[in-house]
Amino acid sequence: MEADQSASKEAESCIDLLVIVLDTNPSQHFVRQNPQNLTQILEAVIAFGNAHLMQKAQNKLAVVSCSHHATNFLYPLPRRQVELRQMDGQYEAFNLVEKTVKQQLGSILMNAPRLSAPCESLLAGSMSMALCYISRLQRNLAPGVKMHSRILVLTGSNECASQYMTFMNVFFTAQKLGITIDTCALDKTLSLLQQGCDITSGQFLKVTQLDGLLQYLLWVFLPAPQIRHKLVLPPPPKVDYRASCFCHRELIDIGYVCSVCLSVFCKYSPICTTCHTIFKNPGPLPIKGKKKKKTDKQM
Amino acid sequence: MADDEQEDQKEYRWETGYEKTWEAIKDDEDGMLDGAIAEIIQKAKRQRQAQKTKQNRLGMMRHMFVVLDCSESMSVPDLKPTRLRCTVKLLELFIEEFFDQNPISQLGLIALKAKRAEKVTELTGTSRVHLKALESLANVSLTSEPSLQNGLDLALKSLKVVPSHASREIVIIMGSLTTCDPVDINLTIDELKKEGIRCSVISLSAEIHVARYLTQQTMGTFGAVLDDAHFRDQLMSQVDPPPAAKTQHNSLIRMGFPHTKNEVEGKDAPLSMCMCHIENLEEPSELTTTGHHCPQCNSKYCELPVECQSCGLTLVSAPHLARSYHHLFPVPNFEELPFEAMPASSSDFTSDVRECYGCAKALGQGVDKVADKVVFRCGFCKQFFCVDCDIFIHDTLHACVGCNTIPGVDGLVYQQSSKSDQVDAHPGPSKQRGQFAM
Repeated sequence: MEADQSASKEAESCIDLLVIVLDTNPSQHFVRQNPQNLTQILEAVIAFGNAHLMQKAQNKLAVVSCSHHATNFLYPLPRRQVELRQMDGQYEAFNLVEKTVKQQLGSILMNAPRLSAPCESLLAGSMSMALCYISRLQRNLAPGVKMHSRILVLTGSNECASQYMTFMNVFFTAQKLGITIDTCALDKTLSLLQQGCDITSGQFLKVTQLDGLLQYLLWVFLPAPQIRHKLVLPPPPKVDYRASCFCHRELIDIGYVCSVCLSVFCKYSPICTTCHTIFKNPGPLPIKGKKKKKTDKQM
Repeated sequence: MADDEQEDQKEYRWETGYEKTWEAIKDDEDGMLDGAIAEIIQKAKRQRQAQKTKQNRLGMMRHMFVVLDCSESMSVPDLKPTRLRCTVKLLELFIEEFFDQNPISQLGLIALKAKRAEKVTELTGTSRVHLKALESLANVSLTSEPSLQNGLDLALKSLKVVPSHASREIVIIMGSLTTCDPVDINLTIDELKKEGIRCSVISLSAEIHVARYLTQQTMGTFGAVLDDAHFRDQLMSQVDPPPAAKTQHNSLIRMGFPHTKNEVEGKDAPLSMCMCHIENLEEPSELTTTGHHCPQCNSKYCELPVECQSCGLTLVSAPHLARSYHHLFPVPNFEELPFEAMPASSSDFTSDVRECYGCAKALGQGVDKVADKVVFRCGFCKQFFCVDCDIFIHDTLHACVGCNTIPGVDGLVYQQSSKSDQVDAHPGPSKQRGQFAM
């Protein structure tokens, strides 16, 4: 009995923070197909956010939108409170989430510059903003209060190699701070975010049917990471951590790494094309490489 | 104190003029000291960051020996509870941080016990081994004097065989004021200098001439600690990779990038044992289907990075390399501006609220009014940040939030522009960024 009580007390003093990073870029494939889809996704996200708040009174929620032109907080907005009235006996906080998110997203989309050509979503940046927000809440915690934070990314965009460094910095920061990154891919499989989920031991899920989005969210992403191992969830996908070489952009098993700038090459070259370092002892190495390649093929 | 000395080697604190330290603290209009104190705290927060100088070539693959004094002087309780306990606790933090920031580096531990040097752990790349060894060190009996020379010789012997492209370092933590050496220590110092091994000393008692001389000769740093917080700072400053030594040879290193074989032709991979635990009697190897297979000899390892035991290939994963990139492309320091210089956010209807771009904290309000007296602006995206975000971005995140969320401001454009004036610089990260694109 006592153990039960202490456990429940511990759970009470513990805050679960969920930050949803929602990709609202209009150039996503499913939005271009049918603009109604975005509304449907938004409804699912709001319902999911409310479900998270409903689990425990201490739970916190934040929603960040990543659009083609800017990243904004949709919820919470500390400076501007939406007028609030109880509706049909619904808990006010749920209504607040819905009103704030919809109003804020509406004003962002209205003020957005027109999109002439499809452009990428700067998801890595939005995630870094979410990390800044989490680290602020973490700093301001009252003593004795614990907070578990996680980030859920919902996106239908393609990922872009130009954000690789930022993505990696975000993943490592999250790993260091003990933040779980979950990803719900709405369109394509995203290998970079897959790596991020693997590094931070989060869940990656590719949704095959948009209609069932809310069900997917409630099933896979609602349980806190601490209790997920007790549930039957989709198995982790196979993550490929191989590097691709600088020279041909091909995935390699064995490569050469510059000791100064850590660039990866698939063949030995006497000069680094990235940092122009001239390498010593080029003699025995290429022969070695040949030999190794042969053994490689044999296997 | 140590910092002052580094600036001017000849002048000691007690040789300088009389300092009226209390005059630095001034009370504000209300007669409160909070403002002045907050300012001092803030300055200290940013100090380490500002000290970081941009390096062009770093010794990224580090081989470091930590030499720990385990002599009688380590039982002195001036650092609480004792010097040794405090050191062991801080070293635990240091080792975690070291491997976090330098994933393809190796570390070894040497203890100086009763005039002898004893290698506690060999050079390895996993923190677990060191942390375990540290635990046992905490209860070691502290007797007699240390021998600096024996410690250096032992480290030198191991570091001599390390490949020449690696950066080689020795960090010595000395509690004793004396050293008991078999022969002339200058011979060892000359040898270290010749080999280009960087030696740094952290003294827990006071400045020692021979230690200072050693660090000067080998381009290391010397520090005498004031208290445990200062000790921590001194130790953590060793986490950042040092500039590449002149003797360091540049070379291309063969590395393997293992991929997990979860499925072979539709079936689960066969059960196999990993090489890393196969000879470990305490934690025997377990039969599993997962693991990282060496692309050269196909032996299995459960953790990366590791050097293959059967073929000697260094096995890493792409994120391990990526983890080190922030040392090469640091976020430039932000500009410090007074709070008044910050324009109110235009998207807002109540126009007098200004908020931090990163964490959306409303600035200049409530209890943090004093801390928000200054704001920070990124020179590239022109966004304003609070002091905490500034520290978070530079120390932990290593990516500017503004530059990465606003299209048009290429997130990494500064790396190109700031490096273009250096001949040997990276021609631009655009290539590097796409390196692991899949």
